[in-house]
Amino acid sequence: MIRKKILLLGDFGVGKTSLICRYIDNTFNDSYLTTIGVKISKKLMILNDIECELLIWDIEGKTPTKSIPHSYFKGASGAIFVGDVTRHETIIGLNEHINTFLMMNGDAKHVIAYNKADLLTKQQIEALDVASNVFLTSAKSDMNVEALFSTITKEMIL
Amino acid sequence: MKNLQIILNAILSKNIFEYILVDTNLNVLSASDGIGKYLWSVPKEGEDALNYLPELVGNEEEIKSIFTKKYCLYSLESVYKNEYYVNITVEYCDKNTAIILLHNITSNTLAAQQILQYSNEAALLNNTLQKVVDNQSSLLFVINEKEEIAFANQKFLDYFNVKSLDGLKGMKLKLYKYYDETLKSYDELYQHIYGHESSISIEKDTFVIHVSQIETTHKLFTLSKVTEVHKKKKRLEVELQIDALTKTYRKSYFDVQLDKELSEGNPFALVVTDIDDFKAVNDIHGHLAGDTVLKEFSTLLKDHLRQDDLLARWGGDEFLILLKRTDEENALHKVEELRKMVDEYLFSHNEDITATFGIACVEKDDDINTLLLRADKALYKAKENGKNRVILKKA
Repeated sequence: MIRKKILLLGDFGVGKTSLICRYIDNTFNDSYLTTIGVKISKKLMILNDIECELLIWDIEGKTPTKSIPHSYFKGASGAIFVGDVTRHETIIGLNEHINTFLMMNGDAKHVIAYNKADLLTKQQIEALDVASNVFLTSAKSDMNVEALFSTITKEMIL
Repeated sequence: MKNLQIILNAILSKNIFEYILVDTNLNVLSASDGIGKYLWSVPKEGEDALNYLPELVGNEEEIKSIFTKKYCLYSLESVYKNEYYVNITVEYCDKNTAIILLHNITSNTLAAQQILQYSNEAALLNNTLQKVVDNQSSLLFVINEKEEIAFANQKFLDYFNVKSLDGLKGMKLKLYKYYDETLKSYDELYQHIYGHESSISIEKDTFVIHVSQIETTHKLFTLSKVTEVHKKKKRLEVELQIDALTKTYRKSYFDVQLDKELSEGNPFALVVTDIDDFKAVNDIHGHLAGDTVLKEFSTLLKDHLRQDDLLARWGGDEFLILLKRTDEENALHKVEELRKMVDEYLFSHNEDITATFGIACVEKDDDINTLLLRADKALYKAKENGKNRVILKKA
């Protein structure tokens, strides 16, 4: 079995913990509880007969006054960058997260989640012009959560 | 090894640190009994430490380098382990042994989390409020004690074509000047408009402006665009002042303008005129023809007056003219021109139409009534003297 470390990075309150809860436990809670530090969850996946234990790092979100410790980034094989599609500044801020991460993990894979997409209208979703590695997700309605994690896993393993 | 165990036990008695001793392959040599509270169970000798500490995955090589370098910079802060928060560090013991220390920081971290929770919730609330404010149809801005725009909503920035509040600060907008050229500050604007509804015109737009004090030093101004409503209202107001048949002003509007001229002390002449023998036009040609004569007569007069002179229908075939900035001599000259023009004009139904004019120029102590009376008397006198003529009456 191989183990892969994968990080969820983004500003505070964008739904990183909720995405993990949906993916691991298939649960969702509407109330907001700030993550501090890091919590690691495990998920066993089998891809093309390869057994892989995903070590999913739920890392506290960046706030205007507190950055994410770089020590969390070391040894990661991949990252999911999460923005809140209803908070424009969290989407704009993704570039900074991506650049910081890739500077430390040049070979790592990454995908992007525009989370809370259930709050958008059909017209708003159609109007969004997103790149191929961007997923419109919703932990609440379970939109694209599985696809998000399986895509990054495949990229890391295969 | 025995000495190390003694030292560790001394540290562990404080219930702050727990440990796992590992060999060069990161397999467990031993662990403190209390470590089970973080890891659900106590690792057994020979087990892979990474099974208990997946946090170390990806950093195995760096950790193993401790056996050659005798130090390791690897450390992880605030790792959530089974309802506890711990800092994880790796220390060199000897060439075959390293110690992984778990430092319990739960109480401090939970306190920090509480603060972070409040702070983040406040930031999210602020974000929501900002959206609420930005989605208002009104332009909102806040002035601080330094007379600067301390806040403006997105509608305000969009209206003035500014990308950010910083850009706005550079513009030094003096919106109070749009309200009244003589105002020198937003504070003066506040004093003028506080407590009642006022309007302000910026370029082609009209806004209803409200103000409220939101802090002792800050004032909130709200501009609600009413351009279309305002235009319709103005149009309606004008329409209400216009006589439907002749498109001249009604007497009520004329009186207001006359009163204004009187109060400003400007020289002017008031003219009363009516069409001679108009009743005969109605009797012979019918009332429709009479209406046509009235329309042609009023158009003729209007077209030959200056832009700021006023023509109003008093009633029937009687009209009032206000000739602004006009003395007796000029009034007589101008009105005589009008009389001749009417006399020579070929009206639609081919009947000769003439008009008689009475003039009163404003004199000291005149009011609307004395002026109207004098002009009316002049008209009566001119009628008596044979119609189709002009008479000016002095006080």
